[in-house]
Amino acid sequence: MILPQNRVAWASVSPALGWTLAFFVLPFAAMVAISFYPQDGSGPSLVSYAQFFNSPSYYYALFNSLEVTGLVTVISILLAYPFAWILADIVPERWQRLALTLAVLPFWTSYVVRSYSWLLVLSEKGLVNTTLVDLGILSAPIQLANTRGATIIGFVHFFVMLLTLTIYANLKQLSPNYRKAAADLGAGPIRSFIHVVLPLTLPGIMVGAFLTFVLAIGDYITPQILGGNNELLMPQLIMMQIGRRGDFSSASALSIILMVVVTVAYLFCARWLKIERT
Amino acid sequence: MKTKSLVSKISGVSFAAMLMLSALPANSSFAADLNALVWCDHSDPNLLKPFEDANGIKVNVKEFEGTGAGLALVDQSKPGDWDVMVIDSIDIHRGVEKKLFEPLPEDKLPMADLFPEVKMDSSTVIDGKRYGITEKFGYNTIGFNKTKVDPADMNSLAALTSDKYKGRIAIYDYYLPVIGMAAMSIGKKTSELTEADLPAIKEVLAKMKANAKAVTDVASSQTALATGEADILVGGGEWVTAGIAKDKPELDFSIPKEGAVLWSQSLAMFKDSANKEMALKFIQYVMSPEGQARLATSSCYWGMPSNTKAALNDDQKKILRFAEQPDFLKRAQAYPAPNEALDKKMQDLWTEMIQAK
Amino acid sequence: MMLRVSSIVYAALIYGFIFLPVFVLVLFSFQASLFPIPPFNGPSLRWYAAVLADKRLIAGLGNSILVALSTSALATLIGFLSAWGFARFHLPKSALMRGLITAPLTISYLIIGMGLLVFFNRIGVPKSLLAVGIGHVVINMPLCFAIIYSQMGDHQANMERAARDLGAPEWKVLSLITAPLLWPAIFASFFLSMTFSWDEFVISFLLTRFDTTLPVEIWNLLRAGLNPKTNAVGSLVFGVSVLMAILFEIFAFRKRPA
Repeated sequence: MILPQNRVAWASVSPALGWTLAFFVLPFAAMVAISFYPQDGSGPSLVSYAQFFNSPSYYYALFNSLEVTGLVTVISILLAYPFAWILADIVPERWQRLALTLAVLPFWTSYVVRSYSWLLVLSEKGLVNTTLVDLGILSAPIQLANTRGATIIGFVHFFVMLLTLTIYANLKQLSPNYRKAAADLGAGPIRSFIHVVLPLTLPGIMVGAFLTFVLAIGDYITPQILGGNNELLMPQLIMMQIGRRGDFSSASALSIILMVVVTVAYLFCARWLKIERT
Repeated sequence: MKTKSLVSKISGVSFAAMLMLSALPANSSFAADLNALVWCDHSDPNLLKPFEDANGIKVNVKEFEGTGAGLALVDQSKPGDWDVMVIDSIDIHRGVEKKLFEPLPEDKLPMADLFPEVKMDSSTVIDGKRYGITEKFGYNTIGFNKTKVDPADMNSLAALTSDKYKGRIAIYDYYLPVIGMAAMSIGKKTSELTEADLPAIKEVLAKMKANAKAVTDVASSQTALATGEADILVGGGEWVTAGIAKDKPELDFSIPKEGAVLWSQSLAMFKDSANKEMALKFIQYVMSPEGQARLATSSCYWGMPSNTKAALNDDQKKILRFAEQPDFLKRAQAYPAPNEALDKKMQDLWTEMIQAK
Repeated sequence: MMLRVSSIVYAALIYGFIFLPVFVLVLFSFQASLFPIPPFNGPSLRWYAAVLADKRLIAGLGNSILVALSTSALATLIGFLSAWGFARFHLPKSALMRGLITAPLTISYLIIGMGLLVFFNRIGVPKSLLAVGIGHVVINMPLCFAIIYSQMGDHQANMERAARDLGAPEWKVLSLITAPLLWPAIFASFFLSMTFSWDEFVISFLLTRFDTTLPVEIWNLLRAGLNPKTNAVGSLVFGVSVLMAILFEIFAFRKRPA
């Protein structure tokens, strides 16, 4: 039952609309405006954008970001899917809640601290290296911290938790009848998985993948703490513009470029991301 | 009727929610506080607390990284928001050009007790007026682990670009001093750098980067040396080794034969400060023998006090190599002081070095 | 059988991966010496004492709680009202407006923070916890809206109409019928908002000056050098968060009507 519009309707939606306009749309407009006014005080121009497209050290940051984020998204899904499936199908029903709670427990450490903790784990005298050397698996410690690999590990750690949750929820919504039907029609477990379970959980995977992409590509902390500045990702380049030089014009231009990339990803996933009422 | 009552209810609820949010402080400082724009060594309670207690005042500190960012923070504030600032001595002119700083009364400061080499009058005195006083200094040079490298190699900057220490080096992530060191390693004077020197410097940086495991900020530099992640820190010095000397006595620094880059930080007072009397008191406190000792041994990083009378004990003086300072100072070169255009070029050079594959 | 064994092995490996950094974090928070790396030479409570004596950390903790509570309450309220408005009334350009409200969900926090920084700077709003609070409502309100909107069904609408027919004024319908029916969604929104606000770093980093939130204080601590104090404060945050999650689980989820 839908009522016609009236003052009540407008009164109830206007706080949200007003807030979004005042503190999201307007700031964004301000950012766009300032990106056309370079820091050196010269008039409106595309200098802040030209800088990005003309210097390899700037646009490599975007390539690096896309590579890292892409890898993180794929690895996280590959690790999380079987795990979520085990939680949903193998673990007995009454233990599932506990198993799931345990899996997201580390999510409750502060996120700055999580990255820092990985640095300790991966450092040359850290737990991983010392254990591997003590066990004789390695003859000398290898470099794990301060690499792209470390950044990816830090990211994957967080997103495996997140994706496990979304995929688990998705798997639980599947009626067991689907698989039974597939089995009745003579499909083995593998075919049933590929032709029935996987397509039905694809929307959940896509939602999780998109969330992973958005959150990872905009994150400053993880690459800054774990990457050892051996390369820069977009958020680091943006923060560098503010932190070193107070250059809001280039920081804004870079943010807008990053946003365009995320928007493209969004359009790509849009058909799975609709927020619909039940 | 019903409609009206809901509209008023909703606006009432929204209003209450806004009120809840506005319980969050919109402006965290009070006029009676002292607001300081500082580097991390000034956030140490051991330094601030005695001053706060003695004057019944709260010192609010905001940390920043580069001078550009510090001045941007001032730009974003209202006049009078800030009282004092810590700034690279060589950058004082930038604040003066923006008409931000107040001249300091030399007669009320211990000018005579300062190491003469770090007074840096060419940077701190402008048009005959003193706008800054050097409070702390040190060297960007080679920091290293004595037990892991041959100390004799550390007497030349060439070690940083040679294959011998490939994969055992970390580079301090600040472009000016490391660019200065790169310039010195090929015989250039840090005070005379121009754009024409950048290509040669870029080559040196590229070699260093190829040898390096990581490019690290203040804390991660310390971490890298302390955890054995790296054995050599390009740009290191007492500021990274002295603070952890008790736990890590194997860490040391050298002033190689080419020399080292002298860093120096100054205190300046804001022209629009609402509390200039207290701001001066704070500067006097930091420059006093006790304040100098606490600043020199601050938890974030140690450094040489600029006041020769700093109340350091013998252990601390030994760790800081107090006695060797005259020789060090003689061999040190100035921090590079590029103009704004060259500064931008140097930062881009730095970004290129980090991004180099 | 094979499947069962390999499942157990796989799950154990993932759990190991997930818990490794937490284990190291907590273990070395009890380190006696200056560096949180092996060998372990504790246990010592030295670093916990240092955290509790650190006024800036404690102030940051208080600020974080204040910001999390107030912004989550506001975000949930505004989100609920708008979800109800869009679900019950026929509004022109409804899809467009809903799209606008949920747009911040697809934008990185860094960009939202940058925008607010530039905007507040332009209109003269000083850096403060209030500015952070506004930013946190921007990131959380769309989430609250989306969660509650997705749970708005005809079943509540019919009950609302029944109440209305019995003469209840709209505000009573909303607060006595709609809100209780949607309690799980409202609660989930509030709880999620709290979590995100509590752990948010970059917006707080960009928009505060002296008084700031706990994640920023932890970042400052991290930048001031390596020591187990960071482990101790991280372990404390972990402990408190887990405790809160358990309490919420006991007192809130259990009461959910079947």
